[in-house]
Amino acid sequence: MKCEEFEAMGLDGGQDASLSEAERAAAAEHVNSCARCAALLSSWQAARMELQALAEATADAQTPGRVEMRLRQEFRTQHKTLKVRRTAVAAAWALAAAAVLIGAVGWVKWRDAQQVAGTNHSNTVTSAGNLSSNGGAAVPNSGTDEFNADDNSVTLVADNESSNFTLLPGVQPSDIDDAEILRVRMQRSALEAFGLPVNEDLANEWIQVDLLVGDDGSPQAVRLLQQE
Amino acid sequence: MRIVDQENDDVLLRQAAKGDEEAFTFLYRRHQAALYRFALRMTGNAWAAEEIVQDVFMTLMRDPRKYDSTRGTLGGFLYGVARNRVMKHLERLPREVPLEEKNEDGSGAGIVLKDPATPATWAEKRERVARVRAAVLELPAEFREAVVLCELEEKSYEEAAQAAGCPIGTIRSRLHRARALLMARLEILRDLPRRATVAK
Repeated sequence: MKCEEFEAMGLDGGQDASLSEAERAAAAEHVNSCARCAALLSSWQAARMELQALAEATADAQTPGRVEMRLRQEFRTQHKTLKVRRTAVAAAWALAAAAVLIGAVGWVKWRDAQQVAGTNHSNTVTSAGNLSSNGGAAVPNSGTDEFNADDNSVTLVADNESSNFTLLPGVQPSDIDDAEILRVRMQRSALEAFGLPVNEDLANEWIQVDLLVGDDGSPQAVRLLQQE
Repeated sequence: MRIVDQENDDVLLRQAAKGDEEAFTFLYRRHQAALYRFALRMTGNAWAAEEIVQDVFMTLMRDPRKYDSTRGTLGGFLYGVARNRVMKHLERLPREVPLEEKNEDGSGAGIVLKDPATPATWAEKRERVARVRAAVLELPAEFREAVVLCELEEKSYEEAAQAAGCPIGTIRSRLHRARALLMARLEILRDLPRRATVAK
């Protein structure tokens, strides 16, 4: 073994597991025969003892306790902040979900209302058609303030007041005691079916009328509602 | 590190990530001493070592997902973070090499010698420790790391290479050069008192 080789591996001692037994033996043999390398090894061993003294002096070194305290404090702060942030995010999502839900419910209700209105409108037209086939005559000349003149709107609920009705021809006042009031929307020309006179200029006008409908379903009297 | 420890580390880290302070504290207590010793031996500065250890655990606390258990142990990960911090510290303060460490209250030496010998022996040993510490701290960072890992922490070459993230051959080479520098420096430091005496 040459001195350079010994320097490179001979000082490693037992730490270098990659050294073979033969290499270790060669290093030992070299140091016995080379005064320079023996001195080098001796010098290194002295240095190593000093290193060991340093290692021993710092072997029990521990991080000061204040570091643990600081870290724990930081840990609490961080996770508290995180918790608050998560709560805030959850609350924001909950509010958003509630808003969407309210919006959806509102929309569904509005849509239902629109559908009901559409159904009533078609019922009104149907009723008007039925009425026109029933025949009879009377002159409706009165109305109520409840009527809304809007073309698309239909009054759903009639009042229970049975005044201002004009009996249709052939109907006795006693026949209307148990009659129901039905509010319908129809074209003015449909009044002809009741035998009522109709101004031809206004024949296509949509009007709102209350009908007194007897037990048999036929109209007994009619009341023209005043348009606003 | 044993497999059980590794599993425990992973479990503890998961618990800590969910806000379990005790789990985090347990992890800290398990790893702090080794990291602190490494940082102290590398920087020679107790304050810097303290700061480095704190920084390492802050990193773990703030983003535990940085640790990937499939790539190694938590101890190895923490050592890697500590090593980076140490190197940054050494780059930033290349000349900060205090020879005396202070206790937390600022009094006395930070390194306590356990040997209850006579004051003369104690003083001699203290002087020797100061001398070798100065010599180690004067080594370039890579050489110093090799000495700290292989000589002070008594790791095998393989372990040291893994810790330093380099091949075994590099560790062997660094150690070889570090030893030469260290012996030369120690020789000078040993001779200084003698020369001073002769000069008087």
